[in-house]
Formats: sequence, structure tokens, C-alpha cells
Amino acid sequence: MNVVVIGLSHHSSPVELRERFTFAETKIPAALKSLRESGIAEAVILSTCNRVEIYAAAAQGPAVAFEELKKFLIQWSGNSQLLEHSPSPQRGAGRGEEAVFSNSNPLAPSLSPLGRGEGVQLSGDELYTLAEPQSLQHLFKVACGLDSMVLGETEILGQLKEAYALAQQHGHTGARLNKAFQRAFHVAKHVRTHTSIQRGSVSVASAAVELAEKIFNSLNNRDVLVIGAGEMSEKTARALLSRGARSIIIAGRSFERAQVLAGEFGGRAVPFDDWATEFEKVDIVISSTSAPHHILDRAKLEPLMKARKQRPLLLIDIAVPRDIDPAVNFLENVYLYNIDDLQAIADDYLKQRQDEIARCEAIIAEKVKPLLVPKIIQPQINTDAHRLETAPAKP
Amino acid sequence: MAWFTDRHFFLLAVAVYGLSTVYSVFLWRKGFRKDDHVNYLLLLTAFVLHTVAMVRRGFSVNHCPVNNLFEATVFIAWSAAAAYLVIGLLPKLRFLGAFASPVLFAIGVFALMPELDPPHGPAPQFTGALTSLHAATILLAYGAFGLGAAAAGMFLTEQHDLKFHKLRAVLSLLPPIQRLEIVTGRLVLAGFVLFTIGLEAGRYLPRAADAGYWSDPKVIWSAFMWLVYLALLVSRLGFAQSSRRFAYGVIAAFVFLLLTFWGTNLLSPLHHP
Repeated sequence: MNVVVIGLSHHSSPVELRERFTFAETKIPAALKSLRESGIAEAVILSTCNRVEIYAAAAQGPAVAFEELKKFLIQWSGNSQLLEHSPSPQRGAGRGEEAVFSNSNPLAPSLSPLGRGEGVQLSGDELYTLAEPQSLQHLFKVACGLDSMVLGETEILGQLKEAYALAQQHGHTGARLNKAFQRAFHVAKHVRTHTSIQRGSVSVASAAVELAEKIFNSLNNRDVLVIGAGEMSEKTARALLSRGARSIIIAGRSFERAQVLAGEFGGRAVPFDDWATEFEKVDIVISSTSAPHHILDRAKLEPLMKARKQRPLLLIDIAVPRDIDPAVNFLENVYLYNIDDLQAIADDYLKQRQDEIARCEAIIAEKVKPLLVPKIIQPQINTDAHRLETAPAKP
Repeated sequence: MAWFTDRHFFLLAVAVYGLSTVYSVFLWRKGFRKDDHVNYLLLLTAFVLHTVAMVRRGFSVNHCPVNNLFEATVFIAWSAAAAYLVIGLLPKLRFLGAFASPVLFAIGVFALMPELDPPHGPAPQFTGALTSLHAATILLAYGAFGLGAAAAGMFLTEQHDLKFHKLRAVLSLLPPIQRLEIVTGRLVLAGFVLFTIGLEAGRYLPRAADAGYWSDPKVIWSAFMWLVYLALLVSRLGFAQSSRRFAYGVIAAFVFLLLTFWGTNLLSPLHHP
């Protein structure tokens, strides 16, 4: 029994296309049942915002299985028109042939009839198909976050576990997929422990949190002041809260907006002109006002630091133009970081993760070997229709 | 193996402290990015050799081995190494070893100077339980001050990196600076308590009738050091002294202690009756 994968992800297609193939979680058991009725022995459907993939174990050869899976995927998602226009091995269509999607299936599990993916073109490269050993390597890479949009992120592992649990719970997995998925989870743990692929923060918000964790012994009893709420400052505040920050105080020019935000964070709002009075209590300040000049300078901060008894203060200035005079960084126990500083941290972590890819792939290649069907090592089958045709089928 | 004395064991220990110092330079250059057990194991190996040296010396004189400057210095380094090995069990504080090993190596090299270890006479210079308590607590205190200075050095390094936006400040596995500040403060406090007990015990030691306690240069020096550490603690705990100044103070006090320890000991009639 050969493990095969068919799907589309952020690598191969835009969101306008991916959203047309999304499976709602509640509909997945029915979809799996339908898939197995079409002759596929075992199957797991992974449907996230960045990918829709079907992992299947099929008794028939990969080329036949791919044809079944492709047909299923397109029909189930209500994009049956694709069958008439998309490149297919039988018709020998090549790359570049395009088809316009239409939502022809009224029973499509998760697609709304209007407004999503209207007029999206399919070139034929969006759906990828993989046979062993690439299918198993792909599963392992997905589990390790190597195929994710944010390299090394861990959320996908949880989503993969949920997808597998759902299929297993409804009896749609068997010995082959059970072993493959269990192994994938084990390898993900191994890679996380033995490489730096998941180390560090690759977003500005999480870099700010990491910075705070380098200054403060713990974030548990830290208060955060957000001056002038913007998208980035909201994200940063949220990230700090998720790591244990005690409270959030919002000071915005619009007091009503500040109150709404404070409500979301379970914090409190203060009038914009009163933000300086909060300095004595807070430990972290996130500033992102649209002021054209510095709202905090050394002369203003110096007496405030005395009142704080020199407790460390982390200032995160994500405003452009900057809200905080860089000279405040010369004050004792004041740590000022602007958007570029945080981006540099995130970029460096990303580079570290990229440097780890080769190590992770070597681990995966090694761990996949015991799972492969003896004697048969299938070459990779790409989206290219011609390759699909010529791929050797499992006897 | 009779020719292989406790000094040879100590020499080996110092050599391993030296290796650890060299390894620490590499750790530093790599930015302390990966959890590393090698330095901890090196220091553990050195500590075992160090302990063997002290035990052998103790058995050879049938007494706690704090009878001359060599033994006293060896004891200081031993207590600092022991304190590090306990603190270093916490992963985030393991890199403290990179800052402690140069200090241990320097103390070790200093202790190996032959003048510090004259052959024992028929009886050790110091005897009695109270004497042992006096010497051991004071030397343990010096060890705590030494490790405190290493933690302060670590704090200053990381604080500098954070202030000047060096990426390694965030990318390294060093602990948060506030934790280092707490560790430094606690080590200095522990050292101060031990130092106080040691000095107090010294007051009750038997001495020659004409030997004044408060006129002895070593006692005056010790009292001065006691006041220096008291001032550091009071300024920190009572007057919110800045963390950076406190760290500089802890390092300066320990460097001064190391530089003057030998000289004041030689000048002291109480310690050279």
C-alpha cells in the first residue's frame, strides 16, 4: 500500500484559490467516507488556512490514486468545472492551460456561493501530487513546520494531529497511515529538540516579547502601557498578555476606541494626556501614535525613572515617525527598541531557522526510510501532467 | 603514586579550569546561542580534582585544610566552584560557568605560587573547631563574593548588549538581566552573612597576650571589606542603587579583595604568630 499526497498550499496557490478547496471540520468525516467509497483504503484530510491536503494509502498505483483523489477533491469542493478545463493526464494537457473555477456543487462543504475566488484562474501547477518516498517526507516536513508559511511554526503540528485524530476516530485510517502519522509526530518532536528550527521569534510582536523576557525575570507581574493603539501595538500587547503579562493599560487619542481595546484585553483605558502618570507602575511601554514629533524625551523620562526607583523599563517604539527620543536609551535601566531593531531580531531568527533546514531534511530523510515499502522507491511525481503519466505505478 | 601529591591534583584542577576558560572564550564568541554542557562538565571535572586535592591535604595534616595561604586560596576557589555547580543546574544560569572559570583559573594560578605553601611545621598554624569555623566561613564568603562578581560580569555584558541592541543579547541563551541581578545580590548577601560569622568567630580565637585584635592589619582590612560589602548591600536594598553600579561595585570589591588578600595576610601578626 502506497502513501500518496494530493493538495494545494500557500506555496502553490493564492488564498483566492485555496479557500475554494477548504473543508469545514464538520464535513470532513463525510468527505473521508465518500473518499474511501471511491476505492481509497485510508485517508486523512488536512485543511488549514494555508493548505488543503489529502494523505491517502491506496492499494492501486499512484497514478490511479492521484486521478481518484484529484477527481474527489475537485468534485467535493464544488469545482467540478475544473475537470473540464484543467490539465489532466488523460488529455495530456500541459502546464499553462488555465481553467476558471466556478462553484458548481451546491453541496460544497465549506464554500460560500458568492464572493470567494470569483474569476480565479487555475494554471495546472496548483495541485501537487506526491508518491513515496516524497509523500512521507512531505508529511514529516509539514509536521516539523518546514513547509509552513512561517518557517518552523508549531501550530501546524497541532492541526495535523487534529486532522489525524478525526480520521482515526471515524475509522478512516489503517496500519499504513497510523504508522506514518505517529512517526511524523515523533520526528517533529525530535527535530524540535535537536535543531533550532523552531527557536526564536520571527515576527515583530514575538521579538518584542522575547526582548522583554531577556530583561524581566518573569512577565507574570508586569504591566504594559500601550500609547496610541495600532495594529502592531495590539499584536505586541496581545503577545505579551499571552506570555503572562498582568495587565494592559491603553492610552489612545480616541478614548472610546481605547476603552473598546482595553475591554478586549481585560485592561483599562486612560485619557491620552494622562499616559505619563502611568509610568510609575508599568514595566513595558508600547508606543505607536501618529504624532509628528517625539512624545517622550530624556527630560520627561528622567524624573519618571526616579519615581520608579530605577526599575527596568522596556520602551517599544513602533511608530514612524518615532515617538520616543533615542536619547532616552542613555538613561540607566531604560531599554529602547524601535521597529527596525525588532525587525532585525525577527530576521536573524528567520535566518537561523533557514540555516537549519538542511539538518532537518537530513533527519527526515533518515527517519522516513523504515516506513518505505520495500523494494519500491518511487520517484517524485509533480504537478506536471506529463510526469504524472510517466510515474511508475506500484505493482 | 606517593610522588603525586595534593598539589599535583590541584595543578590538574587548575589546568582544567584553564581549559574551561579557553572553551568559555569560544562560547562567548558564539554568543551563548546553544545550551552547552561541556563547560559545566569541565568545571565539574576540575571540581572533583580540586576536592581530591583538598581531601588529601586535609588527611595529611589531620585538619581542615585552611592552614596557610595556599590552602586558604584553594578553599576560596573550591567554594566558588561548588556554588557554581549548584547554580549551574538551572539551565538558564549554566553559562555563569563561562564567567566563573576565568576567575577560578586566576585564583588557582595565584594559589600555586610556591611562597603561599611553605612546608608545615610540627603543628598547623591554625587549630581548633572555632578556628576551622572562622577560616571556613570567611573563605566560603570569599567564594560567594567571587561567584557574585562573575554573575555581575555576566549582568554587565548582557546589559551592554541589550542597551546597544546587539542581536546576541536576544539570541543568546543567557538568563534575563533581572535574574542575574537577583543572583548577584543573593550571592553577595550570602557571602556577607558568612563573612560576618567568620569575623565574629575570629574575635574569640585564642591569641598572644600582647596581640590586639582590632590593631591587626588583617582584621582592619577584613573590617574594611565588611563595610564595603555592607555599603553595597545597603545602597542596593535601601537606596535603589542602579543595577549597573551595584554590579561594578561587586566586581571592584572582589578584585580589591583578591589583590590585597595576600599582602594583608603577610602583615598580620595574628595570622603569622
